[in-house]
Amino acid sequence: MSNRYGSRKSFDLEWIERWARCVNDDRILPVIGRFFTGRFVLGVDETEYLIEVRGGKIQRIAEGLTTNDMGYEFALKAPSSAWAKFSQQIPPPMFNDIWAMAHPLHKQLVIEGNTLPFWQNLRALTRMLSLMRQV
Amino acid sequence: MNTHDPIVGRYVYVQCEGKTYRTYYEENGEGIPLVCLHTAGTDGRQYRHQLCDPDITANFRVIAFDMPWHGKSLPPSDYYLMEEEYKLTTRFYSEFIVAFCRALDLKKPVIMGQSMGGNVCLALALKYENEFSALIALEACDYSPGWWIDPLHHPHIHGGEVVATSVFGLMSPESPDEYRWETWWYYAQGGPGIFKGDLYFYSVDSDFRDQCHKISGKVPIFFLTGEYDFACTPEMTERTAEKVKNAECIIFSGGHFPTSEDPAKFKEVVSPVLKKIISLDPERRGQAAGLAGRSNLVELRSSGRSERPGEGRRVIDF
Repeated sequence: MSNRYGSRKSFDLEWIERWARCVNDDRILPVIGRFFTGRFVLGVDETEYLIEVRGGKIQRIAEGLTTNDMGYEFALKAPSSAWAKFSQQIPPPMFNDIWAMAHPLHKQLVIEGNTLPFWQNLRALTRMLSLMRQV
Repeated sequence: MNTHDPIVGRYVYVQCEGKTYRTYYEENGEGIPLVCLHTAGTDGRQYRHQLCDPDITANFRVIAFDMPWHGKSLPPSDYYLMEEEYKLTTRFYSEFIVAFCRALDLKKPVIMGQSMGGNVCLALALKYENEFSALIALEACDYSPGWWIDPLHHPHIHGGEVVATSVFGLMSPESPDEYRWETWWYYAQGGPGIFKGDLYFYSVDSDFRDQCHKISGKVPIFFLTGEYDFACTPEMTERTAEKVKNAECIIFSGGHFPTSEDPAKFKEVVSPVLKKIISLDPERRGQAAGLAGRSNLVELRSSGRSERPGEGRRVIDF
């Protein structure tokens, strides 16, 4: 893919934190994510980041899960190469959307767990993840 | 001074499979009838820009209708007694298109459809080739799996928001925000279960992989697909077009809803196709001059198909 789409990024906890601050500064999410409360996992390669959301704002991020976390609703897991394309300012075709990446034709991202809250909050979640393009 | 669109809307009663459907359509222009088919779960508003474009309507009578259950067209009057969920079938869809064209007494119209409206062009070419003079299949291929899924019609999920958001990524991130969100809005307004039921046609009932080669080629088919379409990728369209006689395949830098997500770019992409259709049928063009504007279409390579030497895949860079 050409440079037109941007460059690669690393996805350590510091990057996740910058993204979470972007999410919490967003003025649209409190409106469309008012009822988005729950915990999901962002999987990057073998690393799992636990994201705790309340009312469309991220309350907590954690690298790795412990038994005290008592689980999560759903997980979005993809290789860092896929997240790197997804989070570019102009993402390349097939990487511009999580459903595009998860679609059976493309299989770049796996959606695990209870997918009901995933679908219920899809609009707010999509907005939240799209802010990765500003990090 | 008020401003009006030149579009006129009417209702026509269409008979199909023993039932009568009060069907809403909009039209504008004169010349070759160009019947436009909307995507799954939405309605003819997706063609509002083409209906208003004087360069198109100077030569074409552009008509966009809402399928039963969609937009301002009604479901059958006894729909509340149905004992199974709404499912669009290949048979009903193609028969309804033919019945609509006959109800308006259209002679050999051109059909232009996108997404499910593009895929049904293959069914029309297989079964009704004598009814049409050309087919423009936008974002079409012979098999589009993976979309007939329950979350799109579930009582614990907001249908409008999830239906609209699930298709948002099918659009190019470089299409204008205004029009991408207008397209989102059309999707958010569909009836409950209608998008999912249309996807029964799109992902289950319309598998043409073993039938494409039977298309005679009597009716020219133009395939146009945007590079951001993850449901019907450029490769899927190219593979389909290679199997269809008298087909031309154009890949462009856009998404799955070209008529509504980026009308200006779509005009550049479709204008050469419309010019070609006029050249095949010069007597029926409208009274005004030909399509205005220049296209920067560049022919890159020949398809190698013997039916139409010199014509092949074209790529547009902007």
